[in-house]
Amino acid sequence: MDSNKTLTLSPSPHVKHKNNTQAVMRDVLIALTPAFIWSIVIYGWMAAVLTVLSVALCVFYEFAYQKLTKKPITVSDCSAAITGMLIAFNLPVTTAPWVLIFGCFFAIVIVKQLFGGIGKNIVNPAIAARIFMFVSWPGQLSHFPKGYYNPFVSADAVSSATPLTALKGGAVPETSVLESFFGQIGGSLGEISALLLLAGGAYLIIRRVITWHIPVAFIATVAVFAFFFPQAGVSGLTSMGYHVFSGGLILGAIFMATDYTTSPVTPVGRLIFGVGCGLLTVMIRYLGAYPEGASFAIMIMNLLVWYIDRITMPRVFGQRKEKKAKEGGEAK
Amino acid sequence: MAHTFRGGVHMNEYKITASKPIEKLPVPETVVVPLSQHIGAPCTATVKVGDTVDKGQIIGVVEKGLGCPVHASVSGKVSKIETVITPSGRKVEQIVIENDGEERLLADIRHNGKSIEDITAEECIEAVRLAGISGMGGATFPTYAKISSALGKAKHIIINSAECEPFITANHRLMLEEPKKIIDGLKLLMRVFGIEKGVIAIEDNKMDAVEMLRKTLGDDTSVEVTVMKTKYPQGDERQIIYALTGVELKSGKLPADVGCVIFNSETCYNVYRAVFEGMPLIERIVTVSGNCVKEPKNILAPIGTSISKLIDFCGGFTEAPEKIVLGGPMMGFAQWDINVPVTKGTNAVLALSESFNKKASTPYACLHCGKCVSVCPMHLMPLYLAQHAQNKDFETCEKYNALSCVECGSCAYICPGNVPLVQLIRLAKGVINDKRRAQAAQAPKPEEKKEEKK
Repeated sequence: MDSNKTLTLSPSPHVKHKNNTQAVMRDVLIALTPAFIWSIVIYGWMAAVLTVLSVALCVFYEFAYQKLTKKPITVSDCSAAITGMLIAFNLPVTTAPWVLIFGCFFAIVIVKQLFGGIGKNIVNPAIAARIFMFVSWPGQLSHFPKGYYNPFVSADAVSSATPLTALKGGAVPETSVLESFFGQIGGSLGEISALLLLAGGAYLIIRRVITWHIPVAFIATVAVFAFFFPQAGVSGLTSMGYHVFSGGLILGAIFMATDYTTSPVTPVGRLIFGVGCGLLTVMIRYLGAYPEGASFAIMIMNLLVWYIDRITMPRVFGQRKEKKAKEGGEAK
Repeated sequence: MAHTFRGGVHMNEYKITASKPIEKLPVPETVVVPLSQHIGAPCTATVKVGDTVDKGQIIGVVEKGLGCPVHASVSGKVSKIETVITPSGRKVEQIVIENDGEERLLADIRHNGKSIEDITAEECIEAVRLAGISGMGGATFPTYAKISSALGKAKHIIINSAECEPFITANHRLMLEEPKKIIDGLKLLMRVFGIEKGVIAIEDNKMDAVEMLRKTLGDDTSVEVTVMKTKYPQGDERQIIYALTGVELKSGKLPADVGCVIFNSETCYNVYRAVFEGMPLIERIVTVSGNCVKEPKNILAPIGTSISKLIDFCGGFTEAPEKIVLGGPMMGFAQWDINVPVTKGTNAVLALSESFNKKASTPYACLHCGKCVSVCPMHLMPLYLAQHAQNKDFETCEKYNALSCVECGSCAYICPGNVPLVQLIRLAKGVINDKRRAQAAQAPKPEEKKEEKK
């Protein structure tokens, strides 16, 4: 027995939950994996190239920034890898890889690190990067091939309008709702299979990485509006199907709107945030210039998180009863 | 249906000593009895170096104000009276007694043959005061003062056997081994308060203790054994009151303000012993556990025994511990000295290694995940309190009810970013309390009155 060894003094608690940032982020990566594999199945090896490149660039930028500014290196927490994965998931497979060099830089250096790094950014880096790339190179990001794509044999890329673009233009989409649910449609890499994204979301909820509030409120709000205001003469249910299962809604609602740093901390706040995202998405899809609105909606709501947290501050234990006791004599 | 509360955390219980009967420690050669083991004024020694003392003899009393006397826990000779610094940073005087091995008990200590009906409230309070009993769950508030201040106010009496901290099994074993004395202690207190029905509240991870108490009660319906969901911090007075009565106790108020009075089960047991057996509080049950202890045990140890003796009795360490903690791992205090004495509030001694529950060593960062908000039993927003505390914006901390924090540690336990939430909030509380004290000192009259009310 060595009783001379120096004992550590530290404040309580002396036990901690095993969960840490890295484990949380790893769970998110696991949840994204099925959709990643599906994107390779549908679009071919180019999907893997874009995703791996995007992850590598994001991790590199984070490392390089922290090295240059002499900050602790935190790439091992996997958060940059998730940003990279989500950026790629938001791109169509035909995107030229050089676009990522700028997109990932914007996400990691401008949106995340310049604001103080993990936990300090105001908007979600992947969302901001998507919007940045979308407005900078619209031609690169609004061309959606359907099915297998090989950049060296460009002839076999069959481009098609996404269901939402068709609806907006007043046409009935070529693909069925069921096809969009399973992911046999044209779209961005990660958004095409609603089923696999929902599976990933279920995994995150079971693992208690996220709560149900934001995804459910977000998706339900969009669903309700799509049901009552169908476009292009389709039935309410069909309209609901297209609006929920195609476009970036599910990916955004489950993986991007729930980003810890840029979403509220209380259950009520999360519901408000989700409904707000849903309303803005519908407004942009119906009234705006873009067929797709989830990213813009999330980014706008990101800016309100601080205020939502303030107004949904929970009632401190013991405070309401005190008022009652004052008003109506002693509480029983 | 188990009673519970909103917030809190489920954690690994580590109740490895739950099936280990309480073992009596062989009498130590020396005991070191601190003169301040309770909330309130410290005692003044009533013995001198060289005096011979009997086991159970009063060796220190509080001359005025709130406090409990302390007693010799062995018979022998006073060899030293010294001042040391405790791990919490306070200076405290302590009396060192060399054991003569005779175990000579003070003559007054014997069963007085009385029954519960024979005891008046005044008698009970005086016996409890003389026995030096203070809250044994760790808070160490003088029990006689709790009883007298709650007289006439209390409508519910609750025996707290939640024992929600990991590792600790002292109350659990006591309920299994001395159920009758706990129940009789409770009945005595019920008589003192004039309450018809008493409650013993236990978490549902100790169903054997629930069965034991129910079996001991038999047809007796005056005491109810209530099962609560196992969740930390169920043993906090506020959460017990809420779980059982639905009443939320406001920060700064006492349970008696909402008609409740709560005693730890070992406190209740010692009330029984003090009143009927004349036995002062000179020993207590200590759970010695942790992953560095060879053979974890529940030990009945004289107050003042060095914790190193307890660890030796458990076969020593398997590896050199990184931390020695007195109390539970969630709210206990890390020690720098392995020779600190067992006091009235020491319910556990834990020896934990570096590898125990180690977190990734990346620099801490708040992810804004909100887990701390969901577990806070006081429904605070620990992340924002910590953030403002770090920015030295203590006024905002005060506005956001930092003083309501009970420092249970749930937020820091669950935080994936490893943020020292409790430490930061504690800092804010300290600054706010200092400021309030300074204000109270400046504006004399009305503030003083407020203090008295408390």
